[in-house]
Amino acid sequence: MSPPDLLELTIDGQPLKVPPGTTIFEAARRSGIAVPVLCHAQHQTPVAVCRVCTVEVKNARVLAAACIRPVENGMEVWTDSERVRKVRRTLYEVLLADHPTPCARQQATGDCELETQAAQAGLRHSRFAARSHARGADASSPIINVDHTACILCDRCIRACSEVKQNFVIGRTGKGTETSIAFDTDVPMGESSCVGCGECMVSCPTGALTNKRALDVVLHDGAEISPDELLALPMFAGASGTFLALNRGSVIRRRFRAGEVICREGEQGSTAFYVLSGRVQVSIASPLAHVKDSRGSQGAGVTRFFRRLSQLVSSDEDPRDEGGHRFIPIDASVNLPHGNPVAELGQGELFGEMTCLSLYPRSATVRALEDTEVLEMLRNVLYMLRKNRTFKAELDRRYRDRALATHLRSVPMLAGVSEDFIDHLRERVTLVAFEPGQVIFRQDEAADNFYLVRIGFVKVTQSFPGGEIVLKYLARGDYLGEIGLLHDSVRMATCTALDHVELVRIGAEDFGEMMRRFPAIRSVMEAEASSRLAEVRERHERAASLPISNFLAQGLMEAQNLLLLDLERCTRCDLCVRACADAHDGVTRLVRDGLRFDHYLVATSCRSCRDPLCMIGCPVGSIRRRDSLEILIEDWCIGCGLCAKNCPYGNINLHSFTVSVPDEMQPGRKKAVVREKATTCDLSRDLKEPACVYACPHGAAMRVEPLSFFAEKLGLSR
Amino acid sequence: MLLDGAQRRWLIGTALAAVIATAAYVPYATGRLNGPSGGSWPGLTFGVVGFALMLYAGALGARRKVPTWRVGRATTWMKGHLWLGLFSYLLILYHAGFAWGGSLTLALMVLFTIVIASGIYGVILQQFMPRLMMDRLPLETVYEQIDAIVGQLRGEADALVGSVAGPLPVAELTPPDHRRGGGGLAPGEALTRGPRPRSAAVLPPPSEATPLRDAYVREIRTYLSLDVPRNRRLGRRRERDALFAHLRTMLPTPFHEALDELNAICEERRQLALQKRMHHWLHGWLLVHAPLSMALLLLAAVHAIISIRY
Repeated sequence: MSPPDLLELTIDGQPLKVPPGTTIFEAARRSGIAVPVLCHAQHQTPVAVCRVCTVEVKNARVLAAACIRPVENGMEVWTDSERVRKVRRTLYEVLLADHPTPCARQQATGDCELETQAAQAGLRHSRFAARSHARGADASSPIINVDHTACILCDRCIRACSEVKQNFVIGRTGKGTETSIAFDTDVPMGESSCVGCGECMVSCPTGALTNKRALDVVLHDGAEISPDELLALPMFAGASGTFLALNRGSVIRRRFRAGEVICREGEQGSTAFYVLSGRVQVSIASPLAHVKDSRGSQGAGVTRFFRRLSQLVSSDEDPRDEGGHRFIPIDASVNLPHGNPVAELGQGELFGEMTCLSLYPRSATVRALEDTEVLEMLRNVLYMLRKNRTFKAELDRRYRDRALATHLRSVPMLAGVSEDFIDHLRERVTLVAFEPGQVIFRQDEAADNFYLVRIGFVKVTQSFPGGEIVLKYLARGDYLGEIGLLHDSVRMATCTALDHVELVRIGAEDFGEMMRRFPAIRSVMEAEASSRLAEVRERHERAASLPISNFLAQGLMEAQNLLLLDLERCTRCDLCVRACADAHDGVTRLVRDGLRFDHYLVATSCRSCRDPLCMIGCPVGSIRRRDSLEILIEDWCIGCGLCAKNCPYGNINLHSFTVSVPDEMQPGRKKAVVREKATTCDLSRDLKEPACVYACPHGAAMRVEPLSFFAEKLGLSR
Repeated sequence: MLLDGAQRRWLIGTALAAVIATAAYVPYATGRLNGPSGGSWPGLTFGVVGFALMLYAGALGARRKVPTWRVGRATTWMKGHLWLGLFSYLLILYHAGFAWGGSLTLALMVLFTIVIASGIYGVILQQFMPRLMMDRLPLETVYEQIDAIVGQLRGEADALVGSVAGPLPVAELTPPDHRRGGGGLAPGEALTRGPRPRSAAVLPPPSEATPLRDAYVREIRTYLSLDVPRNRRLGRRRERDALFAHLRTMLPTPFHEALDELNAICEERRQLALQKRMHHWLHGWLLVHAPLSMALLLLAAVHAIISIRY
């Protein structure tokens, strides 16, 4: 007789002694007998949903699930009897009926547990028909692919998320054959509170949750760093070691000597950098300059030569900024002051987020000030880190300490906020992140917060009977949500994240306090809000009464300001083009060619679109629109060309021109270098009238607001 | 410049000024013993004012060189050039007393008459040519780009015919260039058309496209070159359509889409050739008007100096 604290049983004829409470599965495992399982994982609470671990117990009425059935004294168990094999085979067939064979995991690594076990049971296909419609896939997460069709509802991911990681994101939704796993309130995984630890993915026995490699890229330029070394770093505390192992090569260690350039402004990139040690300098190397509007002739021959010569030695680059933008927003936790666009970052700082997440061009040049060590990472790792509570808290703290004040003051109408109020706000603001396409708030919802855009682009739209209008795009440094709070009303528009967006959220109470303490700011905000509302009302009226015609087919509805050439008057003398070139450093911003509407030629020149696609993605926020219509490209344009690519009408071009910069080889002297800047028609804003219109001798060229101008032809009542 | 309602004020003003000048001239001319004379005070006044207006009219050329200078809108200058230029002719006639004088003054009056006549001719052209170009040239492009576009059309045609009829027996094929232009082009950079979309029909073997290849190499390709004689039948729409209709009867149906495309290319070539001709008509008169105006002003200055000094 064995001690009373051990139970005796036999499994497949083998006698065993196990402590009370041991399950049949555990008892078998200790004696080297493998019982196949799909839903059971040893570090998780058994739930016995799959029944694949079914075993035969002597004198029992039904087969037992080994993972959950406790051992009893004198039990006789067979794990591989004919009856068990038959039942198990049927279970595999049922599970395989809907399972895509081979699934993503089976294709990638050949170790889908369901398909492997089914093959071992001599089963390749199911005789049962698949459901009539697939359960769908979810690719919203940048690091994990979700294929609901491959899911066998084993519950492992749910227990991994809740029991193991305590995140409580995954659950179940639906009933019967409509059951599936769900994230939060059944939102796409990328929009949920999933922190991207990867625990669900490593727990999944099939291809339902699989690793998504970022860009199929492996970084090569630095030293590989092992998952163990990464986990030893505080920033990776809480990360999944398996996730890091699966994504080897997605984060590397790089060392830079003092003076070495880490990245250059305008370059394409796909990585972010985290400073482990050392200091770096962040700057915009492109000189602050723009193509000047000229009141006079460029001259010819000797005159032009001497004018060009004077530009080489002149230090006056005629800055465009009129004090409205005192900081240049870049892809880091700091803004660069306009007068001297240089800043420093140190240990624990992150830069290149927007480039990494949204593939925008680099916004600044980063150079090591001393021997520096950085981690360079791809999007999947950055995404996981941004969701990591410890890392996010540290990033937030640095933002509050370093950048919040300048960020607030870079919003022109908030420049007058006092230092003590900023200190008051510092710990009260929240940094909130939104995924691409995620709605920040909807039109007609209650207004509860004021937001500043920290990174990313936000689309502001408004619905009206007949469709939706894009009002504007907001970039880093812009703000949203003030109208509803000022007027104590509902949201006037819907704001949606266009890419990976992070906002500074200021609660209604703090916003109200700010308005009370700084009445000047309130006045300016109210004036701005009224102007915006009036503009939107007018837009609604026009849009509602406009008949749809080939006016829309040419995209003219989107235009607020068209350059038209009356073909019945135009003698094709090209004086308009020459005048434009004359006014803009010799390069015209209009082409006397394009589509025709009625007897007008719609020249190829900036249309001041209602939906300015050109503004999306500018890494330094240099393309913007003033209160008037014209699109403006600021001095600090780094010539990346993204706006030119975005413009659907080819109205933005990169223009090379010569500027003088300090000569590094000969201190104290300057040299001429060629830089590229984007240029577009700015309605000759420095002149009273557009140069092209002014110079046309036949009255053929005109700048018009298309809806008003064509009102009669379109049948609008005016 | 289009003579429309916007000219009304200038017309009335000029007419009024002409009436006043005539009212001043008639008593002066009839009351003088030896008839009107350019050297008399009224004659000199007519001459000085007329010359001043001629100088103003001539300054339009200088004004066009500085299009962004804020010295008055270009339309105002053009209107002044037209109406005051015309008025100056009347004043000079009054100055001369309708007499031609010596060789210099005769030459001046002949020059002046040619300049005015060429100017009137140009204005007449501007009343209908722009509209005619708009109607007849739906595929009009920038004049300076025509040669480049023609080159691209040829490349497009080479590629099109080559894709259906096999390699072409020509010395040098023009590669198609599908760069997109638009907005801020540097001088010489071409505006382009993109490749035309084509259906994915399965084509018969190239040997069945021999009539197309032969017609293309023999005639059509030459038409798509830069310098084309005007009397080519491909430049006349009816005859071109007849040629392509004949080719359609000789080619299997799957080739007809390529034929239509080639016809469209030829039509575009025709329009570009027409555009060139119409552009020359619209601006050719300036080759007479502008240099003769300069010569006129120069000689008028010489006449003024000689007359006053001697």
